[in-house]
Amino acid sequence: MGFLSIVPDFIERLGKHHRLLPWLFAYALLLPVPFVLATLFNEYLIDLANRICLFILLAVGLNIVKGFCGQVTVGHIGLYAIGAVTSAVLALEPGGFGGALGFGWPVWLAIPMAVLVTAFAGLIIGLPSVRLEGAYLALATLGLGESVRIFIAVTPALGSSTGLMMIPAPSIGSFVFDSFTSYYYLVMTAALAGIYFSFSILHSATGRAFQAIREDTIAASVNGINVVKYKLLAFVLSAIYAGLAGALFAHMPPGYLHHNNFTVIEMVTLLLMVVLGGIGNVWGGVIGAIVVSIAYDQTKDLIFIFMDRPIVIQPLVFGLSMVLLVLFMPRGIGGWIEGFRRNRRFIRRSEERLSGTARNS
Amino acid sequence: MALLETRNLSKSFGGLQAIHEVSLKVESNKVHGLIGPNGSGKSTFFNLLTGVYQPDKGSYIEFDNVDVTGKPAHYIAGKGLSRTFQLLRLYGELSVLDNVLVGFHPHTKYSPFAPFFNGSEVRRQDQIVKEQMFELLEFIGLAEHAEIPAAELSGGQRRLLALGRAIAMRPKMLLLDEPGAGLSPANIDNLMDTIMTLKDRYNLTIVVVEHILKVVMATCDTISVLDHGQKISEGTPEFVKNDPAVVEAYLGREMEDEDIRAAMNT
Repeated sequence: MGFLSIVPDFIERLGKHHRLLPWLFAYALLLPVPFVLATLFNEYLIDLANRICLFILLAVGLNIVKGFCGQVTVGHIGLYAIGAVTSAVLALEPGGFGGALGFGWPVWLAIPMAVLVTAFAGLIIGLPSVRLEGAYLALATLGLGESVRIFIAVTPALGSSTGLMMIPAPSIGSFVFDSFTSYYYLVMTAALAGIYFSFSILHSATGRAFQAIREDTIAASVNGINVVKYKLLAFVLSAIYAGLAGALFAHMPPGYLHHNNFTVIEMVTLLLMVVLGGIGNVWGGVIGAIVVSIAYDQTKDLIFIFMDRPIVIQPLVFGLSMVLLVLFMPRGIGGWIEGFRRNRRFIRRSEERLSGTARNS
Repeated sequence: MALLETRNLSKSFGGLQAIHEVSLKVESNKVHGLIGPNGSGKSTFFNLLTGVYQPDKGSYIEFDNVDVTGKPAHYIAGKGLSRTFQLLRLYGELSVLDNVLVGFHPHTKYSPFAPFFNGSEVRRQDQIVKEQMFELLEFIGLAEHAEIPAAELSGGQRRLLALGRAIAMRPKMLLLDEPGAGLSPANIDNLMDTIMTLKDRYNLTIVVVEHILKVVMATCDTISVLDHGQKISEGTPEFVKNDPAVVEAYLGREMEDEDIRAAMNT
């Protein structure tokens, strides 16, 4: 097992020099990814990498409300949709294709506005959590999230069945983020920043209040935590993540948005990422997002011929893996990471104690 | 001076009158015992004081000269009223240190959004708080377990941690709900010693619910006795011990000689 601790040891040594050094190191490692993918495989994989980054943002955001705060929400994909459609509509030119709404805002203004709108929507989706718990809360948020998608699907101004087209790409000066590779740097930066801030929340009084509510709501309130306020705050914070992911999705090449991207299936995929990652574990969620996105992409065309008829087995595979995960790996990948770190700490402490006695004798 | 005062405090659950018009005064810097048979309403009384339950109409609770009747639990906690639970209710998956840090929550100075905008200030303040909380853990003897999850502690350690979490709030008053439940007599004596040291160190007023009368008699300045949701006696330990109403509540009415004869004749 010795070789396994080389990486964490290295990260720790970097962190001792400066707190941000491991993050810069990770950023530097992620910079050449599009070129590696393009030379070893093909351009398409860069698009996949972009979508993985968006799903990392979504999973990390969902982890705040579900993992840290323990509120079961199935409406997250609705928030993603709100962020995407708001940003798209704000940035589109007026009088666009098929009666779609347009305000002609600059993209860099549309994205923060979309995040704000989504944060407010998160507050509304979070309202049932004041009274409801567990499965009931899940149902209420599912209803809210799905109604967002249906609203988009039947409103021509928001794209309805044709979808929104020609959504402008963001640009800096004359440089336009309209290729897979250039957009990768945008979403990768957003994903890494999202992970960083998620840890900032976790390691603060805010994060501890969330976890206290998850562990024991009554004890938390007696410890002086305003449970209603913090539950809603968790929903708002996770909505900010979803809104940002949605807005970035809207402006991603080829600048096309359809309500099929926000179905319950997408929500289940997102849940699968968080569960596989281990509920409450940030890095677990990130790994979950990567693994599930790749698996989702690779099984898309998997067809099983049964009685001369093709059957798409992807939903079957995903449903089954969800059941197996909950049964045999309830703590997910994050559980392994936690165990590994705890072992390291234990070994280190024992070593310190041993060297202490050696010095004394 | 009374730090806590209740007047006509009542609570009914449907048809069951759990607490009936209890008026009580707790003096500053005293240890006030609350005893009574099982189901007499002691825990309900604590839940009413701390805002976990809302009292019925006509009740009045005053803490530290502020009317806190019907206020939410986090508000009352913020005023400096802390408590432990009979079943502890620790945050099992959180580390021992995090448990006491949550206890410190009402004194957090930065806004909940600060991790986004002002990370350095959050880290600076948290560092100071962590050192203070570590001292508290050292004092109650859990410092070397600071990083393990609370669920992995032994029973006695868990009781200490529950106490530490309640103290971390820097309360003016501490309500202890059966602090010695499940402990051996020797451990209870240790625990009571710790509690008394904490009381002096942090200048606390304590209300304690306890079943082991020996402990209550030895540590309390005043004792109130509840039975069927009503206060039936109050006074010094000596007075309460000899009060016929208390003896009756605990042991039942003594049969008179005539009653026995009547029973035998039929």
